[in-house]
Amino acid sequence: MNESELGISSGRSWTTRRDKKARQLAKVEKLVKGRIIPADRIVEVLENLIVTGDCVALEGNNQKQASFLSKALNNVDPDKVNDLHMIMSSVSRPEHLDIFEKGIARKLDFSYSGAQSLRMAQMIEDGVVKVGSIHTYLELYGRLFIDLTPNIALVAADKADAEGNLYTGPNTEETPTIVEATAFRDGIVIVQVNELVDELPRVDIPGSWVDFIVVADRPYQLEALFTRDPRLISEMHILMAMMTIRGIYERHNVTSLNHGVGFNTAAIELILPTYGESLGLKGKICKNWALNPHPTLIPAIESGWVESVHCFGGEVGMEKYVAARPDVFFTGRDGSLRSNRAMSQVAGQYAVDLFIGSTFQIDADGNSSTVTSGRLAGFGGAPNMGADPHGRRHATDAWLNMITGESQIARGQKLVVQMVETYQNGHAPVFVESLDAIKVGHDAKLPVAPVMIYGDDVTHVVTEEGIAYLYKARSLEERRMALAAVAGVTPIGQQCSVEMTEQLRQDGIVALPEDLHVKRTDAKRSLLAAKSIDDLVKWSDGLYEPPAKFRNW
Amino acid sequence: MSVAYLFPGQGSQKPGMLHDLPKHPIITEKFEEASVVLGEDVLALDTSEALSSTRAVQLSLLIHEVAAASLLMSEGATADIVAGHSIGAFAAAVVSGSLRFSDAVAVVELRGRLMQEAYPSGFGMGVIIGLDESRVTLLTDGINTQNTPVFIANLNAQDQITIAGTISAIEQVFTLARSAGAHKTKLLDISVPSHCRLLRSVSDEITRKMKSFILKDSNTLYIGNCRARVLRKAEEIREDLSEGVANPVRWHEATTLMFERGARLFVELGPGDTLTNLAKKAFPDTRCISAVSSGFDSARLLINREREMSNNR
Repeated sequence: MNESELGISSGRSWTTRRDKKARQLAKVEKLVKGRIIPADRIVEVLENLIVTGDCVALEGNNQKQASFLSKALNNVDPDKVNDLHMIMSSVSRPEHLDIFEKGIARKLDFSYSGAQSLRMAQMIEDGVVKVGSIHTYLELYGRLFIDLTPNIALVAADKADAEGNLYTGPNTEETPTIVEATAFRDGIVIVQVNELVDELPRVDIPGSWVDFIVVADRPYQLEALFTRDPRLISEMHILMAMMTIRGIYERHNVTSLNHGVGFNTAAIELILPTYGESLGLKGKICKNWALNPHPTLIPAIESGWVESVHCFGGEVGMEKYVAARPDVFFTGRDGSLRSNRAMSQVAGQYAVDLFIGSTFQIDADGNSSTVTSGRLAGFGGAPNMGADPHGRRHATDAWLNMITGESQIARGQKLVVQMVETYQNGHAPVFVESLDAIKVGHDAKLPVAPVMIYGDDVTHVVTEEGIAYLYKARSLEERRMALAAVAGVTPIGQQCSVEMTEQLRQDGIVALPEDLHVKRTDAKRSLLAAKSIDDLVKWSDGLYEPPAKFRNW
Repeated sequence: MSVAYLFPGQGSQKPGMLHDLPKHPIITEKFEEASVVLGEDVLALDTSEALSSTRAVQLSLLIHEVAAASLLMSEGATADIVAGHSIGAFAAAVVSGSLRFSDAVAVVELRGRLMQEAYPSGFGMGVIIGLDESRVTLLTDGINTQNTPVFIANLNAQDQITIAGTISAIEQVFTLARSAGAHKTKLLDISVPSHCRLLRSVSDEITRKMKSFILKDSNTLYIGNCRARVLRKAEEIREDLSEGVANPVRWHEATTLMFERGARLFVELGPGDTLTNLAKKAFPDTRCISAVSSGFDSARLLINREREMSNNR
């Protein structure tokens, strides 16, 4: 074969992406001042930098939003820029979907859309939004480096310097991931910053990864999402928290973990220093966490339970507290928190022993979903962490504890725990014959139903009735019965007879509170190390500064 | 996006509801305009005797709602998005700039009259609290037959659904609903089985009437009743108003859509506070007021303040 047969000198260009970027940059030369885009020219600059059909990553996760840039994108002329393919981990702000109504964007790959879930369902049904896929966070981040590499990244940072170095501080979240994927394959990185400074507290993202900076007219949107007011924790939550500590954390030696954001997991955090202490468990469980800076973890940290916490993002009001506890949190030389959503998701999936969270619906096989009829909310952080990573190799007590067979090559399993009251808000049964997610998936023509956590990954279910040790079940039928045994008087619960429950208790597959030496009458609010937000502030020595909406004293 | 106007439907009426509006030239002008269309003095419609007729109730609501909104808007306290519940949809369409007020008066007069005459006895509506749409649908589907028609009529909240049909069918659904876990079931003081296919013939007549009007594309976002979508085109709004009476009101979705589109202040324009309370419960982090009970001055202040705050989001 000669060279032309091999195609070696076919003359194809290997720099089409680079060339395109150079062309786009040239178009805005006169509109920008070096790296700086004047705020009042942002729309014009976007119209020149973005090409119809481009793949655009717009930063929005559930806490931090590139709100100045999303508004600007919503103001571009749809005749000049249209048919964009958007990548957003969280669809949160109204303009995130307005751009689809205007035709500026057409296709969407995303993870979470809780704050726009009705509109999302409607717009998919009406054909206004064409969904690529609904992803878990890690899948979406992963695909940025595979087949969804952005042409344009629109992200947010706290501060920038003249060289384009960025400080993202406690709210670093997913910014470095998006920027890396874009910058290293000749995409254009545009960053909105709250301020331009001479010297940054530290560099979170180097300037050579950044093309443009724009100083926004107001700081990026930031929501406090992981603050749970202890006043709203009920004795039911406390009962379930006691059972979980005894029946799961103590029993399996759970040292590393992730918690969801429900009041029941907040109850666990708040009774570690009281109930956990009384059981002599300090130093034995709950030492290493993949967790946002939950204010309700403060008492456990202060009483010496917690060795380390790696965070997905920040939490409004926790900045000073976190900065004052560098042994526990990951902080920079400037002292402030460094979060990283992608890294913490990896840690939460592969490196922790246990995930525990609550949900709206669980079916007979333990599949769960937070989907409400007619809404399409996608997924949050739960499905990555609420999945057993089959590729895991490193062994811990808890992981090995899940081995039930005799095989020479048996492997351990992550503990995936669902913690729910059998009825939601007193009337809607959590245990159901069929998940609403199936109909929602069908209506939106999704290839698979949007299940949050698959039943075959769930090892334990905790309710006010007791704990089902699903991993111990010897058959699918026994597994279903174990789940039914703790499902109360829901339709699913009624499938398990009293005798059957007795047998499952004897076999150690179901435990009621008394089997765990937990007295229902002991589940009192007096067990909470902090009973209010004010108490949390006191525990923190005044370092925790709750946002106004939580200051109720 | 920040301010939503909500226009209530039947059930909100109160004796004196037209007389109680502020004495203001804008309000008087609306009363006069309506009186001319009807060939009668509208101020005679809101006595308690007159309000025993569906026609007077629907006309009084429309006139009250449009007059109240016009007053607020004349002072610059405008809405970014509007929706009306059932008959309230006509006021919303007027306020959104799509339907002319005089046409609204004429078609509501027809609507009220036809509904009044449609089902003289044995029919009505009832409310079920504590079950969601899919569960109530299972129950109505189980009871609904040619002789015992019963359908979902209004989806007011996720767990507050009204049904319409024959009284006996409604009561059969109630029995099932209570055993399925509903906290409360109650017959409403309405003798017309509205918002279901039993009113198809009424809807056909309204459709005919609506065809004779010239509607415009809306200038404020308008959310329809039938599918809880934003409707911009004149033809879409015409269809929604024409079909409304024979289709369920997807109110919870309509207000959820407002919230997701950024509404953070809900202002009810009507004599009661039913919609205010529904919105408060559904969106606890928002402010919800009834312009009539909180007073037009404070409504105007709150609207202006909300608009400033929304610029900072």
